[in-house]
Amino acid sequence: MDVGLSTRASWVRSDHDERTGMENELSRVVDTLPGLVWTALPDGRIDFLNQRWCEYTGLSVDEVKKLGWQAAIHPDDLPHLVERWRCMLVSREQHEMEARLRRFDGEYRWFVFRVCPLADASGQVVKWCGINTDIEDRRRAEEAVRVHERRFQIIVDGLPMNATLRSPNGELEYANRHILEYLGTTLDEIKDWTPHNTVHPDDRPATLAAWKEALETGRPYEIECRRRGVDQIYRWFHMRGFPLRDTDGLIVNWYILASDIDDRKRAEALLAGEKRLLEMVAGGHSISGILEALCQLVESTVNGCRCSVVLVDPSGTYLEHSAAPSLPASFITSFDGLPVNVDSGPCALAAYLNEQVITADLRSETRWAVCAWYPMALAQGLRACWSMPIASTTSKVLGAFAIYYDEPKTPTPLHQSLIEQFLHIAGIVIERAQSDAALKRSEAFLAETRRLSSTGGFSKRGATGEITWSEEVYRMFEFDPAVPVTLGQILTRVHPEDIPSFDEMLNRQHSGSDYEHEYRLLMPDQSAKYLHVVAHATRDPDGQLEYIAAVQDVTQRRLSEEALGKARSELARVARVTSLGALTASIAHEVNQPLSGIITNASTCLRMLAADPPNVAGARETARRTIRDGNRASEVVTRLRTLFTKKDATIEPLDLNEATREVITLSLSELQRSRVMLRTELGDDVPLVTGDRVQLQQVILNLLLNAADAMSGLDDRPRQLVVRTELDEDDRVRLTVQDVGMGFEPNVAERLFDAFYTTKSGGMGIGLSISRSIIESHHGRLWAAPNDGPGATFSFSIPRRPEGVAGAGSPGAIWTSAVTDAQHVMRTR
Amino acid sequence: MAIRSLVSIVDDDESVRESLPDLLREFGFAAQAFSSAEEFLASNYVDETRCLILDIAMPGMSGPDLQRELTRRRKEIPIVFITAHGDETVRPRLIEQGAVECLFKPFSDTALLGALNAALETN
Repeated sequence: MDVGLSTRASWVRSDHDERTGMENELSRVVDTLPGLVWTALPDGRIDFLNQRWCEYTGLSVDEVKKLGWQAAIHPDDLPHLVERWRCMLVSREQHEMEARLRRFDGEYRWFVFRVCPLADASGQVVKWCGINTDIEDRRRAEEAVRVHERRFQIIVDGLPMNATLRSPNGELEYANRHILEYLGTTLDEIKDWTPHNTVHPDDRPATLAAWKEALETGRPYEIECRRRGVDQIYRWFHMRGFPLRDTDGLIVNWYILASDIDDRKRAEALLAGEKRLLEMVAGGHSISGILEALCQLVESTVNGCRCSVVLVDPSGTYLEHSAAPSLPASFITSFDGLPVNVDSGPCALAAYLNEQVITADLRSETRWAVCAWYPMALAQGLRACWSMPIASTTSKVLGAFAIYYDEPKTPTPLHQSLIEQFLHIAGIVIERAQSDAALKRSEAFLAETRRLSSTGGFSKRGATGEITWSEEVYRMFEFDPAVPVTLGQILTRVHPEDIPSFDEMLNRQHSGSDYEHEYRLLMPDQSAKYLHVVAHATRDPDGQLEYIAAVQDVTQRRLSEEALGKARSELARVARVTSLGALTASIAHEVNQPLSGIITNASTCLRMLAADPPNVAGARETARRTIRDGNRASEVVTRLRTLFTKKDATIEPLDLNEATREVITLSLSELQRSRVMLRTELGDDVPLVTGDRVQLQQVILNLLLNAADAMSGLDDRPRQLVVRTELDEDDRVRLTVQDVGMGFEPNVAERLFDAFYTTKSGGMGIGLSISRSIIESHHGRLWAAPNDGPGATFSFSIPRRPEGVAGAGSPGAIWTSAVTDAQHVMRTR
Repeated sequence: MAIRSLVSIVDDDESVRESLPDLLREFGFAAQAFSSAEEFLASNYVDETRCLILDIAMPGMSGPDLQRELTRRRKEIPIVFITAHGDETVRPRLIEQGAVECLFKPFSDTALLGALNAALETN
């Protein structure tokens, strides 16, 4: 090689003939090399150019010698190339440089100049050998890539999202401007970070797992996570990573795009929070539980804050029901009961003014120095306090909520927008909770009232006939409350006798007017229930007829009314029997029966005998019956006579108080009807008496009804009636009936007890006469006296039951015994 | 021979049940006596009966009760009430409620016959 090169120095000269053949051979080789080959002297002057060089540039060796090789170099590249050339000459080392070389047609193409020094034995450079290779196509490709990359960067940087480019094994290659700005870092810095170190610790495991799996499988992935920004606040991002593959399907890069979904996430969280709160309201949670959940919603949505809520009482005068789950109970309960005014602290003031009260830094504030909560707030490390009034949909202030920070802070527009949303939610939730609570209270009250009054309610829609019952009505009908009720079902319970009136009621429903109806149910056990219905017709919002009705089970009332009615008729019967007229009727009935037989038989007998031929056998039979009936009539008369002569009443030991109470019970409705105010003073120490219970009760009843009658015209004073029993002197028991009625003159006191003496227009005047005879038959005394004030007092006094002595009859019992037996006669009919 | 109209008697008093059918037969009617309203209703004679002589006061179903029951059953039998209670006030009410006549015991045979004829005419 040394030989070859040393000979080439002489090619230019071409004057050594002995080597001509070999040089020709070499020259041909050099000219055939696929490159532009040249040599230069140690000082840099060109001494050889191969044929390709000359052909490419269109310059001859001579021209180059004259103009210099620089003539073929692009002017823009020349200074740099000359500089490099000089360095090379000084360094005497091989060099490589690039520059554009002008082609014969004037076009410049990029070439790489590779130059090596050729040294002699002493190390002196004797020649520079160079070869220029055309790299135009490579340069163009490289330029295209650069342009492409520049365009990519512009696009990626311009994306309104975080974009990073990672190598196939996950190393960060590029991060767009957006993410660098968000993270507050540079590309070089971020390359040194541990992957995902800005992801929220709670989201990190899932994010890393997704990324790892993507790297292993080469499949795209998507995940939502929070990333911390330069402001140290986490925001939600939706991250999508996908691989970029080459034509062979190998992964060249991973693109990771992250879009900010924080606003959407917050809106979702607020919506979910609102839903949760409304569910709590619907679920009947306590108001304090709901308020705590409200605070927690605020705290989970707004970073680093603590929250409290306090309500205003319905009258709007003081604070109540406070909640603050992240603050000590003592702090927040100190709000309760504070008056809503300017001196009670920021929340009370916010509620009072119905506007925000922002305290950016508590320590520099003097407004709250007088408030009890101020030192407590400072002790909790609170520095900022923003209080906001919560208003209802009708703009009534329901309460206030406060956001606290541990450092001084003023609300940003973002805070204000969040606060507005919280206030909206809080207003809805609190208003709903309060109205639900009020509704529950009133429903509970209604239910209790219904239970106490055995009243149920139902509604019936006119258009559809759909019936809705309250629980009580189901209970009355003894139907399963789980099964919707139908008219058909109801009809199976309606008492058959009341079906017509029930149908009539159904017809009346079509008219759309209010109605009242009473009917009976016949229960499966054959017992009857009395229902009283009061129905009111209304129109629903669609204008459809709807009946709202109250149903009351009045069975007890009806049954006691019936019992009372029976007792009353019993009383009436007793009263009737005490009258001569009734006695006459009773006797007449007894006599009329056989008399009727006698007459009929006699008539038949006559007719039989008058027939042709006479029916003698029949006539004899009817005559026999006539005699028999005659005897029966005679027996009746005998029996009646016996009744009147009978002496013994039913004498037994009895408790006068108890007997009195029974009479009062029986006559109470009569007394109430007469608007009499009855006072009973039945002595505790009243001993037993002996006597006929029914007779004595007749006397008591007679005295009570007389007293009521005596007060019937009374309107200027209360119709007071006092019934008193007490132990009288001489081992006697006294009963007194005192009224405030018209009274009587003292001189008629004794005549009152005469038979047929009466002061009443409809009276017969025998009541007191009979009563006195009854009392006398009991060895007692019945008397009357006018009161000092208005009215009269009637009393009887009978001996207490003698120890160990059985009761006995007396002449005085004649009348009353007859009465009692006459009753007996009546009952047997 | 013409079919004789059936007159049924319902009375708890035995002497009436004994005596009246004979008299009625003398008048030319067929007669059946029953001791109670229930017995009459349970018998096969309800549809045949052309006239009913009915006591007012009876144990169990009373005369007016039976009258109502027959009305409910749509049996339009003319009724002549008889009673031993001399209460004139019941008569107008019973007549008003559809009875042909109300006779007070003891009644004469002519009064009875007059009532029966009136009853059968209403048929």
